[in-house]
Amino acid sequence: MGSYGPELQRHLQRMLPSDADAEDLLQEVWVRALRSPPDAGPGSNVRAWLYRVATNAALDRLAVDRRRCCALDGRQPELAPEPEAAPDDLFQQLSPAGRARVRERVAALPPKQRQAVWLRWVEGRGYEAIAARLDSSPESARANVYNGIKRLRRELLDVWTKENDR
Amino acid sequence: MSGETCTYREDDVLAYVSGELEAEADLEMSVHLAECEECRESAADFRALDCVISDCCRDEAIRWHVFPSPFGRMFVAATSRGISRITWRELDDAGFEDWMAAQFPGRPLIRDAEALAGLERQLTEYFRGERTDFDVEVDLSVLSEFERRVLEELAEAIRFGQVIPYSELAKRIGKPKAARAVGNAVGANPVPIVVPCHRVVRLDGSLGGYGGGVEYKEWLLRIEGREDLLKAG
Repeated sequence: MGSYGPELQRHLQRMLPSDADAEDLLQEVWVRALRSPPDAGPGSNVRAWLYRVATNAALDRLAVDRRRCCALDGRQPELAPEPEAAPDDLFQQLSPAGRARVRERVAALPPKQRQAVWLRWVEGRGYEAIAARLDSSPESARANVYNGIKRLRRELLDVWTKENDR
Repeated sequence: MSGETCTYREDDVLAYVSGELEAEADLEMSVHLAECEECRESAADFRALDCVISDCCRDEAIRWHVFPSPFGRMFVAATSRGISRITWRELDDAGFEDWMAAQFPGRPLIRDAEALAGLERQLTEYFRGERTDFDVEVDLSVLSEFERRVLEELAEAIRFGQVIPYSELAKRIGKPKAARAVGNAVGANPVPIVVPCHRVVRLDGSLGGYGGGVEYKEWLLRIEGREDLLKAG
């Protein structure tokens, strides 16, 4: 597994603005790999798994930086000196009014989309199960999830942008 | 390498973040995200959304179910804390969902027979005369503290087949002069039958009102062997 080190580091360097960050995250990837190693049986794809873990770690770091610096206008996010927030804290970083706005937007999703998003993203159900619950086809269940998530993305960017403009 | 044309759509990135790609395609997308800033931003947003959705909806889902009963279609709903609604009055599925959405704005409504199977079984047994007690948690958090106190006392103290006058219930919660307010609190009961508001009657022995329709109050008291009260009313 360690033989993938150099290419993973290059991968992280391409995703992140700072090489120090990349090195940092590579350590996290190894920790994660040691804690819950990927299935090493035949047909498994350790390389894909490692890339996935590294990519997710980088995306989470980017999400935090992006919110903090509000780099939506294309500025390179500057590395903030304060300790990194976990992505779980993103919601908590919003003001109470911001959180209320987020709740309103989630609430304003069409009922089927809201339920589908909930069942998929919070409860982790498969599309067959969601379709049974919504009395629809799996394809339409998936479309409801995707459309709901894409809409929420736009809504949340909007809330976050307003929050950072203040 | 911005400037290169990206052939992936937002849906492809979402499929990746959702973990729905095969290993080869998954790896391909990992590599692509290092190259394409636009897709990378989408992916970072979607990852962040995961936390937001569970954070702002945690424990907030309301599960509901409808099943046939002697009273007609019985609608029941529960939060993570307990049963929050029981009703059987003239509602179709959409009407019930609309009503719940108005009562609990912003909370996801999920139709879930499994989550409410226990309550369905217990209510069915009660209607058949095979059960005198309900073993379920209730969530009365939409009510005021006073209303909750009245209903908790009622559920705790007045068992199957017993009745209590409004004024007596007022005394039991230490507010002997608040019989009318107690009556209003009993009327606000969102979980009839399980919290037995049908067991509260007038001091003169007449039945008094019932939110679900007084004929159902009579029916419930008959199930509990109190035909004697019906003649008096």
